[in-house]
Amino acid sequence: MSLVKKDAAIDRWFLPGIIAGLFFTIKKMLANIFNRKSMPTLNYPEEKFEYSPRFKGTHILTVKKDGSLRCTACMLCATACPAECINIVAAEHDDPVVEKYPVKYEIDILRCVFCGMCEEACPVDAVRLGPEWQIPGVNGSNFIYDIRFLAYRPALKGGIPSTVEDEERHQAGI
Amino acid sequence: MEVKHLTEHYDKDGYATIKGYQKLGGYENLKKALKMKPLDIINEVKASGLRGRGGAGFPTGVKWGFLPNNGEPRYLLCNADEGEPGTYKDRLMMERAPHQLIEGMIISAFAIGSPKSYIYIRGEYFYPKSIVEKALREAYDNGLLGKNILGSGFNHDMDIYSGAGAYICGEETGMISSLEGKKGQPKLKPPFPAIQGYLGKPTIVNNVETLAAVTLVIRDGAAAFRKQGTEKSPGTKLFSLSGNVVKPGNYEVPLGYKLIDLINIEGGGLKPGRKLKAVIPGGSSAKILNKEESEKATLDYECLAQMDTMLGSGAVIVIDDTNCMVDLLGVLMHFYHHESCGQCTPCREGTGWLEKLVNGIKSGQGKLQDIDLIETVARNMCGRTICALSDAAAFPAMSFVLKFRDEFEFFVREGRSKIKGTSYAKMHH
Amino acid sequence: MFEKVAQKLKEPLMPKCTINGKEIEVKDGTTIMEAFYQKEVPIAHYCYHPGLSIAGVCRLCMVEIEGMPRTQIACNTKITEGMKISNVSDKAKDSVKWALDFHLINHPLDCPICDQAGECGLQEQYMHFGKYEPEMGQGKVKKRKVVDLGERVVLDTERCILCSRCVRFTDEVSKTNELGIFNRGDRSEVGTFQDKPLNNNYSVNTVDICPVGALTAKDFRFKQRVWLLKNRESICTGCSTGCNVNVYFNKGGVYRLKPKYNSDVNGHWMCDKGRDTYKHLNVEARLTKGKKTEEGKTTECDAGELAKQTAQLIEKIKKEGGGDSIGLIVTAQYSNEEYAAMFELFKIKLGSNNVFYWINNQKTFEAFDGLLYRGDKNPNTKGLLRALSKCKFDQTWDKLEEKIKAKQLKIVVVLGPENQEVYPDISEKLKLLNSVDNVVWLTTNQVLGTELLKSCWQIPVKSTIEKSGTYINFKGLEQKIKPVTNIVSGALTLTEAAALFAGDEIPFDSKTPVKGERVWNEFFHHRGDL
Repeated sequence: MSLVKKDAAIDRWFLPGIIAGLFFTIKKMLANIFNRKSMPTLNYPEEKFEYSPRFKGTHILTVKKDGSLRCTACMLCATACPAECINIVAAEHDDPVVEKYPVKYEIDILRCVFCGMCEEACPVDAVRLGPEWQIPGVNGSNFIYDIRFLAYRPALKGGIPSTVEDEERHQAGI
Repeated sequence: MEVKHLTEHYDKDGYATIKGYQKLGGYENLKKALKMKPLDIINEVKASGLRGRGGAGFPTGVKWGFLPNNGEPRYLLCNADEGEPGTYKDRLMMERAPHQLIEGMIISAFAIGSPKSYIYIRGEYFYPKSIVEKALREAYDNGLLGKNILGSGFNHDMDIYSGAGAYICGEETGMISSLEGKKGQPKLKPPFPAIQGYLGKPTIVNNVETLAAVTLVIRDGAAAFRKQGTEKSPGTKLFSLSGNVVKPGNYEVPLGYKLIDLINIEGGGLKPGRKLKAVIPGGSSAKILNKEESEKATLDYECLAQMDTMLGSGAVIVIDDTNCMVDLLGVLMHFYHHESCGQCTPCREGTGWLEKLVNGIKSGQGKLQDIDLIETVARNMCGRTICALSDAAAFPAMSFVLKFRDEFEFFVREGRSKIKGTSYAKMHH
Repeated sequence: MFEKVAQKLKEPLMPKCTINGKEIEVKDGTTIMEAFYQKEVPIAHYCYHPGLSIAGVCRLCMVEIEGMPRTQIACNTKITEGMKISNVSDKAKDSVKWALDFHLINHPLDCPICDQAGECGLQEQYMHFGKYEPEMGQGKVKKRKVVDLGERVVLDTERCILCSRCVRFTDEVSKTNELGIFNRGDRSEVGTFQDKPLNNNYSVNTVDICPVGALTAKDFRFKQRVWLLKNRESICTGCSTGCNVNVYFNKGGVYRLKPKYNSDVNGHWMCDKGRDTYKHLNVEARLTKGKKTEEGKTTECDAGELAKQTAQLIEKIKKEGGGDSIGLIVTAQYSNEEYAAMFELFKIKLGSNNVFYWINNQKTFEAFDGLLYRGDKNPNTKGLLRALSKCKFDQTWDKLEEKIKAKQLKIVVVLGPENQEVYPDISEKLKLLNSVDNVVWLTTNQVLGTELLKSCWQIPVKSTIEKSGTYINFKGLEQKIKPVTNIVSGALTLTEAAALFAGDEIPFDSKTPVKGERVWNEFFHHRGDL
């Protein structure tokens, strides 16, 4: 017996399908008109979605207590990044306690896939993926984020402090 | 009972001068030895079973037999560094009878055919060094050193060299490095000093007491020497008794003497109202004995080796029940941490780690794991280093924690010492 | 029968031993460590180095020998007949793990800022033998950091594991005795004496042999992470010794040179002056396009284009004045194959005998500092002399000056030096060539002062690391090299230039190179030579 199904009469007509679809649409439309609150759609921009604290948005470079960059230019984030979008140039710091710091830390945001590998790789909590996601760029704007943007943009209010501080570690003798 | 073979005349006036020494039979053994053949002297010493009195207890005659016959000049080095904590017997000999040492050294040098020997004395011994220097000058003036000693045709020069405060320079290759003018760090063995030592030439390193005992072997002969002591540990030895005894001091007793007799008879026992808790039988590097073991122990190499400790340099430190063992271990660990030369990693880092662990317990911040950690670290320091300082630091740590664990645990739990009345009995916050 | 015995006694003893189950035969007197090296079996070690004396201080090379109760160190134990050695047994692994533990208890947490990450001995042995829970809860010993030891080396005493390799190096190899270990116990530190900084010509070798990041080179410090670099072999062009080097590079350029072991040429070492030779090879310093400077005006075009124009010019001058009006000045900085191609062009095609050898410092050619660095600062002097004598070019420099004065030469082609630092007389020579109508200068880097000439065409050529060739060192040893990387792809090798001058059509690149902006992860398993 042939396994090929022959179209039934109802399938050869398009009209029954149209009516079934329309029936579904009108059913939903009436439900939404009479029960606004259970509608899954959010009325952006009045209603915005609340992301979890673990949401991976735009990168933040944390700062130390004195306001300088926490990053020690170890380049683990650049190595871990699967999109190879982080570019770092290191330099020697005058203070021997600090010793190494980045003069250039650039993230090409168009390459970034927001995977969070850089955040996981960093040993000193220097780079995090923050909660912001509304940073549009128009054609021609700068899509390579530098230190000034990543650490000191106005939305961060002067810099987010890092949770890993070197002073306590040095004092404890570790 | 003391058997004063070496120290017979130590309390006589003038024994430190050559006239006093010769009046009481000094340098007769040298005259006798110069008439013998060098090989015979070595055989005599081998037959007597004299063992090194510095700590390791290696048979002296066997050590002399390791020298190669390749025509190179040999050196004899006398180890007067005496760094082992608790030991002060060599100081007694050098202050009271330097000529006994010099005579022993000339006899030994004649036996091994050495043209030059050195006495390496520790830097802190200013006073004994001045006495030995005076004795050397007297020996030179009386034809006992230099060219053609006593008309026998044997030339020998002897010099004294001062250390500068390092325990590690009591280790034989450390001493050789120091004598060569380098940093006093031990060298890798092989090659052993008997093959390649001072300046790359065959070298014999012996303790002060061993070399002085050679005069006894020559005087009495091997058989008479063996009359004292046990079969494997013949002769008499000086023991430096210290600690909580009524009469601390140096006592010469035959080997095989009961430890408890040394403490009670010679040492006058413990102070009234106190009980014996522990004894360190051979300098701080030997493992500690608790009360039961010290009552059974006899002072010879085999018995103590069987009890998993060692006779060592013969420094008997008596500890009674008013002492806190954690405190004592802290003192010892500080010593070894300070004295490690820093060449090889297990000792350099391990001694520091042990001191920090014990200090942590002493300051009241210790954890129960720390006690096991002390034992683990000490066990893994043993046998993996260039010289034996690492073992010397590890043995007390392991034995204190093993035998007096209750005191360590009390300190960790309560934050203060178990022994009331010590300064560590107060609570630490 | 006696002959057989006598013969047996004369034969050198070759004891057999077993390493990790495999049998190996070694010369008498070999230590276990040397046997491991010979068989290329990996063994953990820090203080042993084949070019230095035995120290036996790290206690990491513990092996288990059958019949001995304790593990022994491999670097100082000589092999006897029938020894069964293992460094993978449990006992050996436990000894190594504890030795490593002791090394790490006072080691600072500096991996993010330490240059040695990726080629660090401690990191590597930890991945093999470590991976334990650290139990040291007490404070670590604090020492000096970022200590300036001299012109080229920075010391971090906290990271130092006191293997004493650097101290032994300055004692035995460079024989300058600048380094020593001060204090004792775990307060020990490597250091220099007050009035004598570490300033000898071999100081950066101590950075190479340091197994951890205690000694770092000021030149390379913080420039790049080593796992983002690839390395290939080449030779150093600083002097006629021709030390074998490893060139570390990525798309951003060359970052450093490290010596490669060659028992015939340089052993394990190279001099500091040779390490600087990579600086003039990176694209920032290079001439990337052909430059025409005529009467003060400068125009640019492609290298290949300019070579074609040169060919036309040569053709024209040859028709007018014959081969004698064409001259060639050679420096000893190119490979044998390039000389063969150029000289063939000049002798056969152009029929010119005017080939002159530009010697930069004949007086100091024979200088030798006792270890590696020689006075002849050209890598291929012997090769050039051989090529000159083969083609029978034997005119002296005075002849060149004569011919220039007599205005006999209408065009002079100069095979300029790749390393301009060792040619201090460039401006003199430019003055000499002032009166020549056309000068064509083949060079890797821009030559300053060419505006003073009537007409100077600079053609960029490829540097040593971008081409393959044969170089002959002072001893006559031929060393072949392969290209390492491409920095200026549009530049020409002399062989290509010769072909273009002859009028042949060969393809050439006309891309303008830029310094690599994005550094791709090469993910090269980089193992430093410990």
